[in-house]
Amino acid sequence: MKPFLAYLAKRLLQFAVVVFIGVNITYVITHSTPIDPVEQSVTAATSFGVTSPEAIEMMRASLRQLYGLEGSPVEQYLSFWRRVLVGDFGPSLSAFPTPVSTLIWRAMPWTVGLLLVSTLMTWIIGNLIGGLAGYHRRNRLLKLVGIVSMGIHPIPYYIVAFVLLIVFGFVWPVLPISGGAGMSADRGDTFGFALDVLVHSILPSLSLMAVGIGGWFMGMRALVSNIVTEDYVTYAELGGVGRRRILGSYVMRNALGPQVTGLALQLGAIFNGAIITEQVFGYPGLGSLLISGVNSGDYSLVLGITSVSIIAVSAAVLVIDLLFPLVDPRVEVR
Amino acid sequence: MRVMKLLMLAFAGLVASTAASFAQGTVSDLPRRETLILENPEGTIKNPGWFNIWAINAGGQYTGLHQLAMDTLWYIDPERGLDGSWQNSLAAEKPIYNADFTEMTVKLRPGIYWSDGVQFTADDLVYTVETQIKTPGMRWSALLALNVDSVRKVDDWTVVFKLKKPNSRFHALFTVRFNAIWMMPKHVFERAPDPLRFDFNKPVSLGAYTLYGYDPDGKWFVWQRRDDWQRTTLGRYGEPGPKYVAYVDPGPPDKRVIAQLNHDLDVIHDIAPEGMFTLAKQSKSLKTWFKGFPYGHPDPTLPAVVFNLQNPTFQNRDLRWALALLIDIRAVAMASYRGAATISAIAIPPTGTHPDDYHKPLQDWLAGFELDTGKEKIKPYDPTMGQQIAAMLRPSMGDQIPTDPAEIARSFGYGWWKPNPTAAAELLERAGYSKRGNAWTGPDGKPLSIKIMVEGDSRPVMTRAGTMIAQQWRQFGIDAKIDVAQGTNMLDRRGAGDFDTFIGWSVETYGGHPDLAFFLDSWHSQFVAPPGKTQSPRNWQRLSSPELDKLIEQIRTVSFEDPKTVELGRDYAKFMVREMPIIPLMAYNVFTAMDETYWTGYPTADDPYTDPVPNWGNSRLMMVRLKPTQP
Repeated sequence: MKPFLAYLAKRLLQFAVVVFIGVNITYVITHSTPIDPVEQSVTAATSFGVTSPEAIEMMRASLRQLYGLEGSPVEQYLSFWRRVLVGDFGPSLSAFPTPVSTLIWRAMPWTVGLLLVSTLMTWIIGNLIGGLAGYHRRNRLLKLVGIVSMGIHPIPYYIVAFVLLIVFGFVWPVLPISGGAGMSADRGDTFGFALDVLVHSILPSLSLMAVGIGGWFMGMRALVSNIVTEDYVTYAELGGVGRRRILGSYVMRNALGPQVTGLALQLGAIFNGAIITEQVFGYPGLGSLLISGVNSGDYSLVLGITSVSIIAVSAAVLVIDLLFPLVDPRVEVR
Repeated sequence: MRVMKLLMLAFAGLVASTAASFAQGTVSDLPRRETLILENPEGTIKNPGWFNIWAINAGGQYTGLHQLAMDTLWYIDPERGLDGSWQNSLAAEKPIYNADFTEMTVKLRPGIYWSDGVQFTADDLVYTVETQIKTPGMRWSALLALNVDSVRKVDDWTVVFKLKKPNSRFHALFTVRFNAIWMMPKHVFERAPDPLRFDFNKPVSLGAYTLYGYDPDGKWFVWQRRDDWQRTTLGRYGEPGPKYVAYVDPGPPDKRVIAQLNHDLDVIHDIAPEGMFTLAKQSKSLKTWFKGFPYGHPDPTLPAVVFNLQNPTFQNRDLRWALALLIDIRAVAMASYRGAATISAIAIPPTGTHPDDYHKPLQDWLAGFELDTGKEKIKPYDPTMGQQIAAMLRPSMGDQIPTDPAEIARSFGYGWWKPNPTAAAELLERAGYSKRGNAWTGPDGKPLSIKIMVEGDSRPVMTRAGTMIAQQWRQFGIDAKIDVAQGTNMLDRRGAGDFDTFIGWSVETYGGHPDLAFFLDSWHSQFVAPPGKTQSPRNWQRLSSPELDKLIEQIRTVSFEDPKTVELGRDYAKFMVREMPIIPLMAYNVFTAMDETYWTGYPTADDPYTDPVPNWGNSRLMMVRLKPTQP
């Protein structure tokens, strides 16, 4: 047990260092932006309406004080870390005084719901078909599936998304093209609303899956193609072990290692949001929130979302490192 | 495989639990035939549960909140209005000033009620003013603190403002052009510990609609007609047609077009010209401001080539005029709006009542205007430019292009400067520039280099205009380049004076009223920031002119109703032509697309009772004229 605890402590320390460096880099980048959130608010407040240059000077001063942008850079930096350590990213500067954490928690279920489901679906389908195609190399249907999925894979994502939008939103308008749920959806009716959310997520998740499956397919097929030529597989076949068992326990399980690592990294990255997907399909989520924060110079919000993402990706890597021995018995902690 | 099975199980559980986690808040099915659906150009609102519009930039504004739930003393419609462009809204009559403009008396309209049944009185107006003065950081705090010495309720329907200094346009703070200081419900806000941190959810409405529901994720807001709509200021025009009004975020332009073709979006706020052409071709139920080409509504905003006059290069009037004479406005109109532009040679938008007050009366002066190039005197104005653009479009657009000269002037504008490279060369030579090979060089021997800042994809129409102008200047031998600054970067650089020129606007007017003080007052040299410091709106060109200052000071001394304002406005237009501190291009045409499948009675150029652009406060007038198409 001792070596494992030592390993765990070392990995936890690595995790903390990665998060610290990542958040610091983000802090520096967001605070180096030439965009001034106070100017954005001043512009928003004065656009279209009566303006008086003297009044705007007063407004600037008030907002600077209100947003807590006064004080030296060192004071601001220390105050930032004091807040982050208790999970508070401060108020959003483009939706003041609402806390950044409130905005993130509101957007997160949509992103997690959409991306977790579509990432897992993509991974499962891609690997399953890829594994089968690698094992049953002469099967025509699997070859066809491979050609289609690999054919779609290199097409830029936004093209695929746009084609789906046109086909199912306009030519054959059977699916909703915007939003996470319909305007008339009754959120009190849990089942009905869940169904509505599901229907609204079909196009965005379909677009993500259509592009994503090819990658997993190719990876898994290549891995399986190598493994089936290994001596222990040949030996199992000669020994009369059932083909399903060979495929499941001898071939695919051994091929899963790198795929699981890839999955973990992708799952961590879902906290970035699927920016293009959310923009194209008007889907609410962290990606849209991030873009909105960038556009409005709201570096508290950008910093909040990015920090969550850094923590999530680092945590995913940590978890997969710790769990890897369960997936691949050849790996053990020494 | 066991891992796979486990993952599949986890996935199934996840779908169920994620969907369940959204189940909160309720809006039941809306009857489509009673619901008007409009685009909110703000997009998705980050903070949808925030309705305190008096806090800066805290929540959505064009979600229907300021169009349907807010009200203030007066409105000036950018078009003709239902009973005139000027509307006494919560005020019973126009503002009453004393002789030296240090006091303004307001008579309020009785019989107006908040949606919770409390009557609107002078107490609300006094509270609105005093609360903002004593709470720095609220939206109109600074403006009120600078102007108001005291505000006093005389009786329930009379309020007297004593001003800190004479201000003949003080009422403009309470007059909606796009928005204005909205009234706060005293009985609600006085219970909030901090008016800046109070979300005002659910909002108590002073308009004819009240909040019915909103998307917790900020995609839509639905408003319902009040049963007591007669007790609102809109009530005097009749019953609003739509029972429900929804402001939605329909997504990117292509989706807006699809949504309207599917009749799921009644009013598109704005789309690219190409989107409008698609709708014109494919939608049988489309209604636009102009019946045919150029379709869009010209906003009272004037896109122009704005020079940075603190940059020594642009301080020479001859150079500025030379650059104007190198622009072929026909090509710019075609490149930017595909021809669907309303051009203007003078620095006043060609929209609303302005053509009657300024453009038409100044035609003779413009035709006679002489420019001395140093070698010759030329008359640069070509009054037929609008007609030439119409003629260029006629072969492809056919009957959609009007033939009546008055109609052409209304749609495409009057004249503009005739491209004249010879005169431009003479002006540049007089300014000390010379041509070496194919390139113009300055007195210091360096090439004449100009960057035109544009907003890239954020504002494609203006970017195309800037690109065309850069191309025209380059063809003449000027090293002109496009300088892309997207969105917020553009705002910061514009304010900091970090540009040579940009395509944008520093001129915004009422549209429906000839008074130019709305933007012109801020052009006084007293407000020009020194180089390197942030310039306050709207004098982005940092123009500092004693002649213009004198004009502005004269405008300050006359009432906004005085006919002299028009005379002074024309003097301003002439000054701008002579000095050319910005090169005016055209009106900012907004391609608002309206669908008549469910509603009819939208405002158009033939029935210009208001601006159809749905994020303007004035667009509330649409509600009383819209009638259901289907019984």
